[in-house]
Amino acid sequence: MMEVEETNFDELYEVYACMQCGKCTGSCAVSLRSDFNIRELMRIAILGNNEDVKEHEEIWDCTSCGICTVRCPRDLKPSEVIVGLRSILVEEGEVPSTIRDALESIGNNNNPWGRPKSKRADWMKDLDVEVKNLSEGDEAEYLLYIGCTASYDTRIQKVSRAAVHVLTKLGVDFGVLGEEEPCCGSEARMMGESGLFEMLVEDNMNLFKDFGISKIITLSPHAYNTFTTDYKDYKKRLEEEGIEIPNLELDVKHYTQFLAELIEEGRLTSDMMNEFNKTVVYHDPCYLGKRNNIFKPPRKVLSIIPGINLVEFERREDRSLCCEGAGGRMWSEGTGTGERNAVIRVRDANTLNAEIITVACPFCLSTLEDGRSTAGYEESMEVKDIFEILDEVLK
Amino acid sequence: MDIIVSVRKVPDTAEADVMVEKSGKDIEKSRLTFTINEWDNYAVEEAIQLKEKYGGTVTVITVGPKDVEDILRRSLAMGADKAIRVDMEDPEDAYTLANILSAVIKNQKFDLVLFGAQSGDFNRGVTGVLVARMLGITHAAMVNGIEVLDGSIKASRELEGGLNEVYDIKLPALFTIQTGINEPRYVSISGIRKARKKPLEVLTPSDLGIGSIEPMVRLDKMYLPPPGKLAEFIGGSTEEAAAKLASILKGKGVL
Ligand code: SF4
Ligand code: SF4
Repeated sequence: MMEVEETNFDELYEVYACMQCGKCTGSCAVSLRSDFNIRELMRIAILGNNEDVKEHEEIWDCTSCGICTVRCPRDLKPSEVIVGLRSILVEEGEVPSTIRDALESIGNNNNPWGRPKSKRADWMKDLDVEVKNLSEGDEAEYLLYIGCTASYDTRIQKVSRAAVHVLTKLGVDFGVLGEEEPCCGSEARMMGESGLFEMLVEDNMNLFKDFGISKIITLSPHAYNTFTTDYKDYKKRLEEEGIEIPNLELDVKHYTQFLAELIEEGRLTSDMMNEFNKTVVYHDPCYLGKRNNIFKPPRKVLSIIPGINLVEFERREDRSLCCEGAGGRMWSEGTGTGERNAVIRVRDANTLNAEIITVACPFCLSTLEDGRSTAGYEESMEVKDIFEILDEVLK
Repeated sequence: MDIIVSVRKVPDTAEADVMVEKSGKDIEKSRLTFTINEWDNYAVEEAIQLKEKYGGTVTVITVGPKDVEDILRRSLAMGADKAIRVDMEDPEDAYTLANILSAVIKNQKFDLVLFGAQSGDFNRGVTGVLVARMLGITHAAMVNGIEVLDGSIKASRELEGGLNEVYDIKLPALFTIQTGINEPRYVSISGIRKARKKPLEVLTPSDLGIGSIEPMVRLDKMYLPPPGKLAEFIGGSTEEAAAKLASILKGKGVL
C-alpha cells in the first residue's frame, strides 16, 4: 500500500482561491438527498491530505453534471476537483467493486459494461438498411459514433437503429465502426482513471487516423464533450510527455447540432414529416446544456415537427435537473435516500401533461426510463430519444 | 512471510461466443480478450494483503510466451515485489505445467504458495495440488479464509453443499484459493506503468534443468456439445403454453 500522501490540489485546480461560499453545494444535483457535500470536499482538497478522501464514500455520488463549475463565483472547477480526489482512490485501488469492474472492463473489453468486444455490433443485426463500416474499408464523410451504452443496452440500441434510419433517409454520407468502435473514455476520466483515459486518447486518435475519420457525429453528449474538450487537453499533455499523437483536427458534432444545421440548409423540413400530435417535453442533458451551452439545436429540431405540442420544464436549460446518470453513477448506486432526480423529473413531466419526455443522451434515456417505471407511468408516458421521434415522423 | 503466487492468462469466455477451431483441438481465440484468471487474481490479492499485514515478499510466476507478461506487470502493480516468467508455450497438460512450476518454486525462498483453485479455461483445479505433491509440502484446496497463527495458518475450505472445514496447517504449505476470499483491488493503468521498474525475470526450461516431459493427458478432440434432442420449446400464449405443458406432463404420467 502506498504511504499516506499529500496532493497539492492548488497546483492542479487553484483550490486555495475557494472562499467556502457554498454556492457549489447550493446548486449541486445530489446534495439535497445525500451526505455528499462539494464544499466540504473542496475543503479536503485545500488541506490536501489523501487519507481524508478515503473516509468519504459519498464521493462517488457526484454525477459530474458540472453545474457547480458553472456557478462558482471564483471560477473554480469543483467538478474537476472531484475527478482529482477520485483519482487518489483509483491509484490506491480503493474504489467500490462496481466501479472497479467498469474500469477493468474498459481496459479489457473497450466498454464499461463487461460485455465482449465481439458483440459490440449486435445492435446492427436487426437493421433493414445497409450501413457503411469504416473499419472495413468503406469510405464516408461522417463517422456516426454510437458509444458503449447505445451499442450494448437493448433499450438504447433502438436509438442507434433510429439514428441510422434517419441519417439514411436524409441522404447523409455516413458510416459506423461496428465491432472496432472504441470506448470514448469520458466515464473513465470522470471516475478518476486518467491513465486509462490517456491510453484511450492515444489509441483512438490513431484509430481515427487509420480509418480516415475526421468528421464525427455523436449520439451521446458525453462522447461529444470528451472529443471536443478533453481530447485536446490530453493530446497536449501526452505530447509534452513525448508521446506522438496524430495531428488530426476532429470536427465533432452532437447529432442535434448536426440536424439543426440540416434544417438551416433546407435539407430537413416539416414537409418531410407526418403529423405528430403529441405533447412532448425536452429534458436537457447536462453534458449538452450546462457543460456546452447547447440549448437551441435540440429544440429547433423538435419545433419543426408538424402537430407537436412542445412544452417546457420549469427547470430547464442551465437549470435543468440532472438525471444522475453520469460521473460513474451507472456503476454506483449512490448513498442518497429519498426520491431520485429521475423520478422527480417524470413527475414534473406528468404535471405538464407530457405524453413523451424526449432526450438526446443515452444515460438520460436509461435513468428516465427507470424513473418512469418507478413512478408507475408506464401506460401514460413514454421516454424517447429525439432520433426515435424523427424516425417515426419522417416520411 | 514469503509468498509465491502462480498466475495464468486465460480467455474471458463468460459472455463471448466460443467456437472450436478447424483443427478441432482448440477454440477460436482471435476475437476473445485475455486476462488474468479470476481465481488467480484473488490469490494475488490475498498474498498482498498478507504481506501488508505481516511483512515479507510476494513473487508471482507464470509459464508462457512474452505476451503473458501483462498479467505479471498487473500483479506487480497490485503490490507483488518480483515476477518470473518461464519462456515457453503454456502446456495444456496440468502435469507438465506442475513440473515446470515446481522446478521454479523449488529454487525460491517461500513460506506459502498460492494458486487459484482452478482456471477459467479448463477448470481442472489440479495444477496447484500436483505442485504441492511434487514439492512435498502440505496443501489445502478451495481455501476461502486465511488466518495467520504462529508458524501455521488456520485455513478454511469450502466444501460441497455450503459446508466449511477449518484446518490448522504448518508452514510451508500450498493453498488453492477460492473466489470471494477477499475483494481484489483496482489496478490503475498508471500503476501498471510505474510497476515496469519492478524486476521481471525470464527463465527458459533449460535454465531450470527441464528436458522433455511426457504429458499425462493429451487433448484428443474439442467440440461443442450437440444440442439435446429431447428439448422442446413450448410456444404460444401463456394459457396455450400452460395447457400444452400440462398435457405433456399428464401424458408422461407426471401429473
Ligand atoms: S462555489 Fe466555488 S468558491 Fe464557493 S465554495 Fe464552491 S468552490 Fe469554493
Ligand atoms: S458536478 Fe454536479 S453532482 Fe458533482 S459536485 Fe458539481 S454540482 Fe454536485
